[in-house]
Formats: sequence, C-alpha cells, structure tokens
Amino acid sequence: MPAYDVMPDIELFQPVSVEDAAELAGRLGEKGWLLAGGQDTFGWLKDRAKSPEAMIDLKGIDALKGIRETADGIEIGAFTTITEIAENPIIKTRFNLLASAAAHVASPQIRNMGTLGGNLCQDTRCWYYRRGLSCYRAGGNTCYASGPESMNREHAVFGASRCVAVSPSDTAPALVALEATMIATSANGSREIRAEDFFVGPAVDIVNMTTLQADEILVSVRIPNTWANAEFYFEKVADRNVWDFALVSIATAMKIEGGVIRDARILCGGVECVPRRLTAVENRVVGRPKNDATGDAVAALATVGAEPLHQNQFKIPLMENLVRRALRA
Amino acid sequence: MDIAKVREDVWGREVIAGVSWDLLWLVVVAAFVVIIAHIVIMLVLKAKAKASDAGKRLERHTPFDRWFHWVTAASVFVLLVTGVFPIIGINFSWLTIHWIAGIVLTLAIVVHIVRACFWQDAMSMWIAPSDLSEPFDDAQKPGKYSLAQKTMHLVMSVLVLVVIATGIALFLQIDTPWWERSNAMTEATLGWMFLLHGLSTLALIGVTALHMYFAVRPEKLFYTRSMFKGWISEHELSANHDPARWKPSE
Amino acid sequence: MKHIGKDFTPPDIFGKVTGKAKFAEDFTAEGMVYARLWTSPMPHARVKSLDVSAALAVQGVVGVLTPDDVPQSPAPNGSILTNEPVYVGDPILAIAAVDEKTAEDALGLVKIELEPLPFAVQPTDSLRPNGPTARPEGNIFTREMGELHWNEGEVERFLAGQQPTAKAPIEWQYGDLEAGFDNASVILEESFVTPGYAHMSMEPRSVLSYWENGKCFVYGSTQSQAFIMPFLAPMVGVEPKDLVYVGEYCGGGFGSKISPYPTMALPAHFAKKIGRPVMLRITREEEYYIGSARVGFQGWIKAGFTPDGKVSAVDLYIVQDLGPKRAGGDASSAGGAVSILYQPDAVRLRSVPVMTNTTPRGPQRGPGQNQITAVFEPMMDKAARQLGIDRLEIRRLNAPDSNAKLDADQGPVTSAYMQEALTLGGKRWNWAEKSKRSGKRNGNKVTGIGVGQGYHSAGANGFDGLVRITPDGRIHLHSGVGNLGTYSYASTTRAAAEALKCDWDRCEIVHGDSSLHLPWSSYQAGSNTMFTHTRANWVAATDAVNKMKEIAATTLGGNADDYDIDGERVFQTADAGRNLTYGEAAAKAIELGGKYSGMEPPEDIHAITKLALAGVQGTGLIGVAKDTLPKRGTAPGFAIGFVEIELDLETGKHEIIDYLAVAECGTVVHPQGLAGQLRGGAVWGFGMASLERHVYDPQNGLPANVGFHQCKPPTYMDVPSETDWAATDIPDPDNPVGARGIGEPAMGAATAAVMCALSDALGGHLFNRTPVTPDLIVNHVAGVEQPFGPLDINTI
Repeated sequence: MPAYDVMPDIELFQPVSVEDAAELAGRLGEKGWLLAGGQDTFGWLKDRAKSPEAMIDLKGIDALKGIRETADGIEIGAFTTITEIAENPIIKTRFNLLASAAAHVASPQIRNMGTLGGNLCQDTRCWYYRRGLSCYRAGGNTCYASGPESMNREHAVFGASRCVAVSPSDTAPALVALEATMIATSANGSREIRAEDFFVGPAVDIVNMTTLQADEILVSVRIPNTWANAEFYFEKVADRNVWDFALVSIATAMKIEGGVIRDARILCGGVECVPRRLTAVENRVVGRPKNDATGDAVAALATVGAEPLHQNQFKIPLMENLVRRALRA
Repeated sequence: MDIAKVREDVWGREVIAGVSWDLLWLVVVAAFVVIIAHIVIMLVLKAKAKASDAGKRLERHTPFDRWFHWVTAASVFVLLVTGVFPIIGINFSWLTIHWIAGIVLTLAIVVHIVRACFWQDAMSMWIAPSDLSEPFDDAQKPGKYSLAQKTMHLVMSVLVLVVIATGIALFLQIDTPWWERSNAMTEATLGWMFLLHGLSTLALIGVTALHMYFAVRPEKLFYTRSMFKGWISEHELSANHDPARWKPSE
Repeated sequence: MKHIGKDFTPPDIFGKVTGKAKFAEDFTAEGMVYARLWTSPMPHARVKSLDVSAALAVQGVVGVLTPDDVPQSPAPNGSILTNEPVYVGDPILAIAAVDEKTAEDALGLVKIELEPLPFAVQPTDSLRPNGPTARPEGNIFTREMGELHWNEGEVERFLAGQQPTAKAPIEWQYGDLEAGFDNASVILEESFVTPGYAHMSMEPRSVLSYWENGKCFVYGSTQSQAFIMPFLAPMVGVEPKDLVYVGEYCGGGFGSKISPYPTMALPAHFAKKIGRPVMLRITREEEYYIGSARVGFQGWIKAGFTPDGKVSAVDLYIVQDLGPKRAGGDASSAGGAVSILYQPDAVRLRSVPVMTNTTPRGPQRGPGQNQITAVFEPMMDKAARQLGIDRLEIRRLNAPDSNAKLDADQGPVTSAYMQEALTLGGKRWNWAEKSKRSGKRNGNKVTGIGVGQGYHSAGANGFDGLVRITPDGRIHLHSGVGNLGTYSYASTTRAAAEALKCDWDRCEIVHGDSSLHLPWSSYQAGSNTMFTHTRANWVAATDAVNKMKEIAATTLGGNADDYDIDGERVFQTADAGRNLTYGEAAAKAIELGGKYSGMEPPEDIHAITKLALAGVQGTGLIGVAKDTLPKRGTAPGFAIGFVEIELDLETGKHEIIDYLAVAECGTVVHPQGLAGQLRGGAVWGFGMASLERHVYDPQNGLPANVGFHQCKPPTYMDVPSETDWAATDIPDPDNPVGARGIGEPAMGAATAAVMCALSDALGGHLFNRTPVTPDLIVNHVAGVEQPFGPLDINTI
C-alpha cells in the first residue's frame, strides 16, 4: 500500500463568479470537487483516498465572502472564514451561539483558513473511513467501525444505519439551533434548505453528509432574527482543548420570559451523523425555569433511544451532563 | 460495461464488491425491446380470438393461492423499489422497509414451498419433457399451467430463492432487533453475496417486467382476472387448456 | 564557576528561530531523486509476487528498490525492506523518481500479492493456547526469539486483574519477598495497563544519501552523532572512515532516533543502485509506522508497606508489548525504578516480553521507569491514605540517599539527594497548604493534588573528548554529541571551557557533521549525556591544559607543575610574567608535533576518535582523552512533579492549575536548558497521563494513530502556560562539574503527579491505566462500567 502524501495531478478551475462555479459544478458533477479553505480537502487528496478529476477553487469568488445584514437577520457567505465568524461583532452580539461554536473549531490556524461552508460540508472523521477503506460511506459493503471489536469510541450513539459515523462540525448544531437556512446554487437556480434538513444521516444517504447535490454549491447561510439575542450556550467536550473534534458538543438557544423558558432549541454534536436535536428536552423545558432542577428533570430525556456501540457508552452520561450544564442558571 | 464492481478490501486486495448497477439500464432496455418485439410479432401473427368469459366459472386459483401470489408480488415490488431507488438517486430511509419486506417474502415462499410439496400437486408446475413440444404443436394444449407459465415460475423461483438466500446472508451483516452485526464475513464473500443479490435483482426486474407485460396482454388477461377473482370460464379453459389434463372444479 | 550554572546561547538556536537550520529534508544534491515507500497493508504477511513493470514504465521513474536489493537481518531485527512484513506500514519496496508525485503515481501501479499470516495486536491474544504468533519464529523475545502460550485459565486470570500464575521467561529478585510482605501492615494488589504510544517526533526521519569517490554521505535525523558511525557504516556497507554523517539538527527523537534505524540506510543502497543521490522524505503517516512507539505494559503489582510507611516488598509482573521487532528492557527498568525510588527490602520482577503485529517499539523517554511510576505513585498515595501518612512524607521516608541501592544486583549510586529534593519541592510548592485543597468541590469541579517522582539512570562513562586550540587562540570544542534538542551537545562543552578557564566567546563548538572530526560519544539517550560528556570534555580540556603546561615548561623553562592557567594564558605560578597565550601555545604545539598536535593518539581512545584526530592533527594544540575518571556506581537522575488540577466531574476534563518540577540531577549546568527539559518533560508527562493514545483495530490489525490529531499529543491549550521549576543543585562527586542527567525523570514525574492528582480528585480511585481520558472519568462518575477489561491494552 503506498503511503501517499502528494496530491496527484488534478485539473484546477478558478472561477470568479458563482454562476461560473455553478456551471462548472454542473458540468463536472461527481467528478468535480469544491475547494474552499482546503482543511478537509487536502487530507483526502494528499492521501489519494478520494480522486476527483477536477477541483473548483472557490477562493476567487468575492460574492461568497463576508457577513451581511438582511431585512430579517444576517447572511454569511459560505467562504467566510471561521475566524471572521468567531470575531464578527454582529454575530457576537446577536448570534453569539455561532461565534462561540466557531471559536471552538479546530485550532487558530485552521480557523484562519477554514470556511463556514467547509465546516458545514466537511466529511466525517471516522478513522476507518479516513484511512481510505472501502466502507459503506466510501461506496463499499461494510462498516469496520461497528463490529463488536471495532474501535468506535468517537462514533454515533444515535441514528446509525450500517454506518456509525458522526458529524464533526461545531458550527452545524449552532446553526440548526438558530434555525438557519442554507442557500445552494446550481446552474438551474438556487434553493433554500433548512439547516435541519441540510444534514443527512446514513439511513437516507450513506455516502453524503449533506443533501447538497453534486452540481450544487453552498453559497451562503442565512440566520433569521428568530433567535437573535436569545440565551445561548455552547460547549464542546473533546480530548484536547484545541485541534480536536467533539466527543459531544451542545448548542442551545433559549427564550426566557418571566423567569421561565418560553422556547428552546437544544442540539448535540458528535453523537449522530447529523446534529441531533433534543426535541423531547426542548418540549419539556418550556414553561420551566432555567435552573439545576430543570436540568436534572430533563437530562435523561436527551438520551432516550440512544444505542451506544461497545466503546462509546460514555457519550450518554456526557450528553446528559451537557444538557444539565446548558440549563444551569 | 462490467458485470461486477471491484474494490479494494481492508488490506488492499481487489475483491468483488457487488453488481455493476450500470447493468440496470441494460436490463430495462432489454426488457423494453423484448416487449416491443413481442407486441410486433403478436400483431403480425394476428392473435387468436379471445375466448368468452361467459358460462360456467371454474376455479383456477384458490383464495389462499391468490393471497400468496399478491403477498409475494407486493413484497417483491417493495423490495425492488426500496433496493433500487436509492441506487438511481432517489434517497429515502429504505433499509428497514427492505428487510421487513424481505422477511415477508421469505415467509411467504416458505409457506408456499411447504404447501406445494405436501398439500398441492407440485408436479403441476414442473416442466415435463412432453411440455417442450407445446409451442410447436397447436394441438397440444397444456394442463393447468402452460409451458410459458411453468418457465416463468421456474425462473422466478430460482431468482427469488437466490435473492432470498443472499438477502439473508446480507441481513446477518446489519444490526437488527434480534442481533448485532459482526464483521465476521470476509469482504470477498460479502462481495459475492452482493453480486448475486444484485444480479438476481436485475434479472427479477427484467422477468417481472415480462411477467407484468404478459399479465396485461389481451389474450392472457383472463389469467390475471383469475389471479384476482379465482375463476376462469369454461370457454377460456377449453380454448387454452386440455380438460383431460386439468379438471378444475366449479 | 565561570560557565557551569550560567545561561548561554547554544549556537543552533539562531538557525532554529530564523528557519535557516537545515534538517535532513532541507538538503539537496545535484541530480537528486525522490524515493517513496510501498508499505504493508497487512499486519503480518508474506510477499507472494511483486510486479513493478507498470511502475517502472512511468515517465520520470528512475528505479525501484526491493527487499532483494538490500541486506536482510534475521528476526526479530528489522530490515530496510522486507518480504515478510510484520505490521501495517512495514516497508516492502521503494520507488525513486524525479519528483515525489511521479514516485507516488508509480507506487499506485505496483502490484504486490501478499499472503496474509496470523497476527496479534494485544499480547494476551498471542499468549492464549493457540494464539497467533507475531512472527513465524515465535511470539516472545528475551535474548532470542521463542514461543510461549499460557493455558486459557492463566490468560483469563491475568486479564481479570488477578495475581498471575503463569511462568514468566524473565525473572529477577533481590531480598526476601515473603519476609517483606510479612512485615507489611498494608498490602496493595493492583493490575494495570500502560499502552505504548508513538514517539511523535516533530521531524519525520527523512534521509538523503549519495556516493562520492567511494564515500557514502548520509544526511539524517538522529539523536546521536558520533555514536551513529560504527552502526550506520555496516548498514550502508562501508568502513566508518568512508562514511560522512551529517545530523546537525534533529527535530525530536525521544528514544526513537538513538541509533541508526533500518530505513536510514535505504537511500544509500538506493543511491548506489541507481547512481544518483536519493532523498527519502518520510511522511507523517510513515513516521507513525516506522517511527516506533513505547513498549506497552499489562501488569500486576503487589506492594507491602510497614506500619511506619516503608515499602517492604514489591512483586511486579509485567507482560510487555514489544511490537514485532527487537525491543524490550522496559520491564526490568521498571523494576529498577521501583528498587531505587522506594528502596524496598525486597523486589521481584517477572516479565513476559510478547511480540505483537503493531508499530515497532523502542525505548521512549523513561522506558519502563515512566510506565511504572505512572501506576506505582498513585499506589503510594493509596498506602499513605490507609496508613494515615502524608503523601509527601511517605515518599520522603522511602526516598533514596547516597547510600541507596538499586536493581537486581543492589549496586550503589554515585549520589542521591531525594529527601532534600522532596523537602525543597514541598516548601517551594507549599505542600502543607495546597494539599489541604485536595478534594475541594467548586460546583461540578473538584481539586486534585498530586506529587509524583521520576527516575532514570543518568550518566555513563568511558567516552572521548576532543579539544583543539588553534594559533589564533580560538578554542574548538569538538562534540560528538548529537543535537537531539536538549542543547546537551553545547552545554557539555561548557565543562571544557570551565577546565580551560577561557571566555566563552573564544570557543567554537564543532558538531553535527562527521567530516568535521568529532570524537567518540555515547548515545544521546538514557539521560546520560550531561554526566557522560561533561566528563569527557573535562578530561580532554584537562589534557590540553596539561599539554600547554608542558609546552610552557619546554619553552619557558621549569617543570610543567610550575605552571598554571588563567585568562587564556599558561603562566608560571611563581612569575606570572613568564607565560604563553593559548594561541602561542598552540603554535608551539604544531611546531613540537607529537602528542601536542595530535600526531600521537592515545592508545585507549576509540577508533572513531582516532579518525577524528587524524583529521585535525597538526592544526593546533590537541587535547584528547578517554574519560577514565572514577565512577562508583549508577549515576541516578530524579525529578519530582507537584501538580494541582481541577477535574470537571461532568465532562471528565481536567485543567492543570499549577505545576512545579524539582530536579535532583546534581549541579545545574545550564539553567535554561534544564528548565526546558523540565517543562518539555512535563508536557510529555501530561500527555502520557491523560491524552496520548495507541489505537489498533483488532479485526484487521490497522493502526488508527497515524496523525497528530488522532494520537493527541498535548497542545499549548492543554498545558499551563507557565510552570515553575527548582533544582537541588547538589554536586555529584563523580562528575567533575557535579552534573547528572534529567531528561527522562522530568517526564515520569509529571505523568505520576497527574495520575496521583486525578486519583486524589476522585477520592483515591485508581484507574490503573494511562491515559485517563474524559470518557473514563465520565463513566466512573456516572457509575457506568468501562467498556473494556482491567487488563485490556487496546482500548480507545
């Protein structure tokens, strides 16, 4: 087995407009590869574990960059770097959940290079899959990570269907909590996808992490004012404090009036192939005060239906603990 | 066009990974061509006059057999849709429906085999050497089942048995309410299972298409009716079957 | 002292901070081609066939190197390339091309058919009655390979953490074990696991080689310099005199680059075959394959403590995970560490060195010592709690002094001042106050206080020094010491400057390139260099001083004894006006020739030093000598770590609030260098205690740890930005400047301290394994059973 470390020759397109990029994406289809910050891409290509024939570099498209205020919130270009999002004053003021999540992504160097679009569309970090093995997710016939002897401490406790990989994104749970929408553009036009519907699990699509089609480009993320200035909580538990993926993360947005929670969106990352919405917890906390008693009362609801693999049982108490922390006064 | 997909296993060895789904389009086109060709030939040959459905009604299929047929048909249909649609890009959560339909099909087939062996005339569906002259001799009429029907049944039986056998092998490779999967089967064996499952699926698609086509052909429509309602008329019997070889009750 | 104990700027720092330093990968040579490796995808296999025709047809491909082109070493030694790979990543073939991309394109066309063979990733799997053996030759390695299987009951018993009953091929003992346990009022029995994880050298072991006029040039990455020569020369097939080895910088080795490793010789063989210089750049992934890892331990300890807290007896049983190649020694070293740190009346060590089809193992920073203190130090705490003795006090009352004995033979030490070190640390850390915070709750956080000790032998002897004074008065300090990142190549030469009483700016350190004429040196490992080469430099400088006195006597009259040195002059004690500058003495040495200018090498110096001497003879006054100074025992190196952590019971994460390292390594030679060792060792220790991982898929023998992010060495956010340090600074009598080494204990102390603190925060719960990751803690707090058995080594 060659221990690859050098990218093969690959055709490079550097469009400067979304239209051109979309046209290219349509033309290249599955053979094409969208390149943003490259923090996921280059690993795949240097390992030669994925072999697209051509790469569409989105760096030259100014329209994909920056954070704009809209009539009903903000719109973030998909090429906006994670650092910009973590430091943006509007996001920090109104949607600090996202700023906080962004600040927890990888490392400062990766945040400087990595983009929001890349963070949302990045592939799972299942080590078997990343090794380039021909597993379900790579179009093969098996999952190496879910056998009784598999090393699956980081894998899913919910929603597994043959593949047990988890979503690695820190910003994804925050954006689902904020009821963001993704704008995907192809040569045939644009469509707006609810963040919740943007991510897809293996039961429905075992080879993709998102519903983005091969001819589509994620151009921006819109965050409505629905949850602006709500009470936010983000926490990521990883082995290391920097440059690591979440074992479990939690992102919550709550509206509190008169001392009680009026509405809540509570999500966990790192437990399923998509950001996991804790609907049962959300429903139960409404009308209750945000305090330890509520946390204790609802924590167990977070993990109803969990199906741990043989090494990741700890994610269940950890999830419940994070729910308690998010609800702490 | 390849018949099988080849991939590297966990240790980099080339192994068969399943059927090449490009064949699906070949099967669809082939079935279409055969059907069109048959239509044209039948037009040229001028079909025999249709026998009247009036008169005495004779039982061709018992209610149990009709149930069995439609349960089998429904489960095969569900299996084909849930198995093939995701491959052609129509994504939905298919796996659970697929294996439940697979269990239904398997149980139906088991019941059918047991019933056919012990309570029915299993030989009535068996192709005898004498049947082979049937297409070439206008005077030779079949018993309960024509050679074409027997052939269709035989081909269907083989395909369904292969798809069930490989389906069970694959079923053991996923987590279910009754067991947790292991990675015990080698990837090469697994690949063969997928290949046979895929090939038999493709053949089933083609054969099912033909089966459905014949079911709606005007001269054979009474068979389809009989599969719904159970009876054929005495005219239909005498026009298509040899009453000496098959004596249905009223 | 003029230089010892003072900070200085080692010359290689400029290159490191400006980026001008040339590591192996930065060198080029005319016509250089690039080699890439085809490594085994299977944990154990045999090559059935090998077809490179398609690869060779690729334009730009220059050649291929197969196992048949290189010498093969018998098991369990590693070969440069092999037809019988014994782990995933074992190199089978190399292709050279005009650039790396072309070489990799060609690698993809190589067809190698492999026959899979049985493999084991956990030693106990191999020990089962019909367990797989890592190599056809067997599954254990003591002095030679052999095969050992236990019965099923013995395996199960051991895996359940019970007292092992199976015979161990390695056993030693001193003292009366039974009497020791009879005298004990507290007897602890614990099983434990310390997986071996990668060395994680920042610089992968890239190598450039070419041949010129019969000489082989090798640019590599090694911890040692002169020590490499006699071992690398036969590997590339030349005499040491025909080998030029350049290893001026080394981006970390930590035990994995002590000696030449098989792939280091690959470019030389390849270059010879194709007649062009060959650069083999090792990728990060390959570094995890061939870069080796620590020996793993699955073990059991029984320790007895007398009512007054003395360790009376220790019974150790250790199954070692050796990986698939030659390794070992860790278990005996673990026994040795226990014997010296706690001075028990009796110790028995039994060890089963088992081979597995995982990353090859080698010594890693405190090999054996640091595994055992990680689990034994928390046991000291447990005993202290049961006996009602303060945790620092129990260490003090067992601590070794200069009468300490160690190892199976209960040999002496040169000196030891651990009681003083523990007292010093206790005061500086304010143990009395801080230990009261132990177990204090702050919401979901709880404070843990830990003190841990580390040990490694820290000094050798018998190596050579070479000092050259040229007529311009410059002092050339030839150092055969490798630049492994500790600055010991430079700080040891300070002993020569001290002996010469010269200004530092007159000195020039000559190192990093064998063509610069470097004397025979010890390996840069085992924390020995500081002790060993301050001695060697001292004796060489003393030789120079003596020669200058003789030259002065010859030139100016009188006896050599009438002369002394200072201010870079050799002068008559009675009449300082009668003197020679060092430069004048050097000019005179050239004139006089003979031993003065290195024309007559001393009999007892090493062949490598003789080669070096041949290169410098006649160029100045030569001080050259073998270190024959007295050494009365093992020179020990000790460190103590004091740590305060805050453990979050809900997330299982902990933060290191405060850390103090105390060094007991004799006289401090280079304070900044020592601080660097203590801090760097602490980071390593924190990593071993709670982060660094060894993950193998047992189904197919695949390693998960092939990148920094999977292996999880600590980042800057996982360690405190500031830590404190102190040193006893009590001179060792067997070193002319009083120094001993410190590198390995610096890590072991930190590992042990954090392990103790984690246990302390959880009310004394012992995990008995490294690393203690958040999942272990979350499970423990939630009362969830850990998903592995107490002795499983391949767990996360």
